Parts: sequence; C-alpha cells; structure tokens
Amino acid sequence: MTASQIMFDKVEAFYRPANVRAALRLLQSGKGQARVVAGGTDVVVEGDESVRFLIDITHAGLSYIRRRGTACVIGATTTMAELEASDVIQALAGGLLSRAARSCGSVPIRNMATLGGNMANGSPAADMATPLLVLDAAVVMVDVRGRRKLPLAEYLAGARTSRYARSLLVEVVVPDPPDGKGCRWSFQKLGRTAVDISLVNVAAGLQLDSRGRVKWARIALGSVAPAPMRASGAEQRMTGRILDHSLLAEIGAEVAREVSPISDARASAEYRREICSVLTRRALEECSAPAGCSL
Amino acid sequence: MLGSRGVFAMKTMELHLTVNGKSLNWSIAPGELLLDLLRRQGYFGVKRGCEKGECGACAVLLDGKPINSCLMFAAQAEGREILTIEGVADGDKLDPLQEAFLDYGAVQCGFCTSGMVISAKALLLRRPDPSEEEVREALAGHLCRCTGYTKPVEAVLAAASKKKNRARRVKPVAEVAR
Repeated sequence: MTASQIMFDKVEAFYRPANVRAALRLLQSGKGQARVVAGGTDVVVEGDESVRFLIDITHAGLSYIRRRGTACVIGATTTMAELEASDVIQALAGGLLSRAARSCGSVPIRNMATLGGNMANGSPAADMATPLLVLDAAVVMVDVRGRRKLPLAEYLAGARTSRYARSLLVEVVVPDPPDGKGCRWSFQKLGRTAVDISLVNVAAGLQLDSRGRVKWARIALGSVAPAPMRASGAEQRMTGRILDHSLLAEIGAEVAREVSPISDARASAEYRREICSVLTRRALEECSAPAGCSL
Repeated sequence: MLGSRGVFAMKTMELHLTVNGKSLNWSIAPGELLLDLLRRQGYFGVKRGCEKGECGACAVLLDGKPINSCLMFAAQAEGREILTIEGVADGDKLDPLQEAFLDYGAVQCGFCTSGMVISAKALLLRRPDPSEEEVREALAGHLCRCTGYTKPVEAVLAAASKKKNRARRVKPVAEVAR
C-alpha cells in the first residue's frame, strides 16, 4: 500500500449531496468526523487521519457567478479557472479577482481549487482573500439554524477554529465598489515561482478626486499575519492627501509597522516586512498610474 | 451512516466512469485517490510524484481539462470522462505532440513527460495556435528535474504549427474531393 492509500483508508463513506440541505444533514450526522471537500487541493494535502466521511459539495448547486442587485455573488464551489474566464468577474473592479485567481497555482490546480475552499481553508496566504478584503466582501454561512451573512474579515479570523465546523460556506458576496468607475485596483504577489504560494500578496483599491487627492483607499495584505488583513492605519493616513512619492514612502513604512509576519521555510519575517512595503508601493503606483497623477 | 468500524472491514463503493473512451465500472474505497485508482487499474503512465499537487506528474484530463489526480478523490470521477497518457496515441500512431516531444529531445528520464503531454493536449484542444507564453503557462504546473523547459516548450509550439500546416495542406485536397 502506498502512503496516500493509507492516508484516507479510514473513510467509510463518500457522499455527493445534490443540495445544501442534504450536505448540512450529512455534516450534522458525521459528528465531527465528516469533512467537506470540493476541489480537494487542501483537504487531500492536509491528510487528516480522523476523517470518516467525505461530503463532496461540488454537486450541491454552488457553482455560479451572478449579478444580484448591486453585488456580484459567487457560489462557493466556483473554481479559480471559472473566475479567470468569467465576463462578470472580469468586469468587476478592473478584473481584480480574475487576476488574483490566475495567480492561484498551476492550470491543473486552478481547474480544481474553489473560491469557497480558498476561504474555508483559512490560510494566511490565501490569494483570493486580499482582493476580496479590499472589495469589502462578505461570506454567506449556512447551518441548521439558517443562513447568515458576515464580513469576510470576521470569517477569516475564525476560519481555522472550530467555530464554523457545523456550517457551510455557500457564497461570497462582492458589493459593487463605491462609485465604481473612479476606482483603480491592483493585485501584487511575490512567490518563489509563478505557481508557488505567496510569500506576500497585496491587493489595493484607490479612488482619487479631481485634484489627485485620495478619496477612498483599501490595502490588504496576505501571508504576513495569522489571517489576511487590512492595513487600516495606512488607509486612514492616505485619505484626503495628495498621492506623491513622499506619501508612498510613508505608507510603505506604515504598512510594514502594521503587519506581523513570521519566519518560515519560505522567507524570514524581516524579508516579508520589507516586501510588504515594496508591494504596497507597487500596488498604489499601479492604481494611480491611469489617473495621470504626478507619480 | 455509522457502520462497522472493523479495521479490516474496508468499505467499497461502485464508480462508473469513462477512461480513454472506455466505459468502466470499478469498485473503489470511499477514501481512495484517483491517482491510486488509476495505477491500481494499470494506468502506470499516470505517475506518482509529489502527491501534493506541485509536480504535475499525475495529471490527467477530466472532461478535457487537466487536473492533478493525486488531489482528487476517485469517487469524484463519477460519470466523468478521463484521458490518461495511455489514451493520447491513436493505437500505434503517436499524437503529433508525442512525435514533437521525441523530435525535439524533450524527453529525458520521462517521468514528467506524460503530465506535460496531457497538459499540452488540453491547451491545444482549447487553443490550437498558442503563444509561447500560453505554452509556458500550461506547462508551469509540471516540474522537470532532468533538463528544463525549453525543449518541451519548443515541442508544443512545433506540434501546434505542424497541426496548423497540416490543416492548410489538407484543406485544398478536401475541397478538390468535393
């Protein structure tokens, strides 16, 4: 027997529920020994020995991308490849989410990995989390008591705890950005190779007024704190000011103060902190370039 | 749901799928991975590499799209169509991609080759005339530890242009025949 056969040999049943209600029922009756799976790219690598029941939610009607009112809603089992190709997603925030999805590993991985999985895995490096944070996204959670929507940041803070063990993340809601047309967006990622996990990733959203002053700003960073985070201090510091080189340097330094990276096999904390400044500056430069401001 | 937990009471389930055009019914373990299943059934062209979705040696096409079979549960292949490297050639006649890999010396130890050919196959099905950048993106999920990537990229581009040339050559003949 090979290592991987041994890994999941305690699994007694594999379920393919046709809807969310059936999936929830299975999750309840699994008594903590059931595991939800979609693309498998995290569940299989993790190889949790305690899993007895697998619940594949890719047939539960959660693969969709739609406009709903003034928001875009994305079903949890929508793949990275589908996000890359979607006209709706390409038209949203200058294609920010499409670009981020394209950075989530190789083509085979993007054909498997899902948006819901990327959030539910709760990795600090989740590439879709930072662009969703700058877009003020929310997630829809369902459990036996019902459905509720909560801010993505709140969800991510608890995604690696047992808080949502009996819930399903069914949808990501992306509201239209404020005065959408005037906003500019950027996604920056540094990894060892084009298909590697992020050492640091940064998403930014920026709106300048007619005099080149920052009207609205969002900066989010990944892989530099226990969960993907907004740099609220830096955002506030920018607002109302002219975006020039000295402000860029100031924001770069502020962001480096706000993050709390760790050292691991991929990079040291010091290096990550420095990269936060560099990628934030690059992101803001990319956002401001089309506005023809002084940078 | 909570059946026997005996150590030797391995549960099984039925799986219906199509592999290389052949409709099959297999008995599988509920926690079995697609990679393990395919190799157990003799599809040894599907290579066991990193088992983490990093190397791409286990890639197969699932309904025409490349996936890493080491990261997919076999049960998820229910009703799906799988193409492995064994199904790429037409009998003894190699696919133009396989010919090109040989012509361009894009094969050394061969361990990464089946995955690369499978991903390239998916690319050419989707984009018959890809740019070099598109080829590189398609092959980015495949690690080669022997030689590198220049020759595989050249081979895929050559296979694409050969197909294109053949199409050009064939077309007038077909028109004459009509």
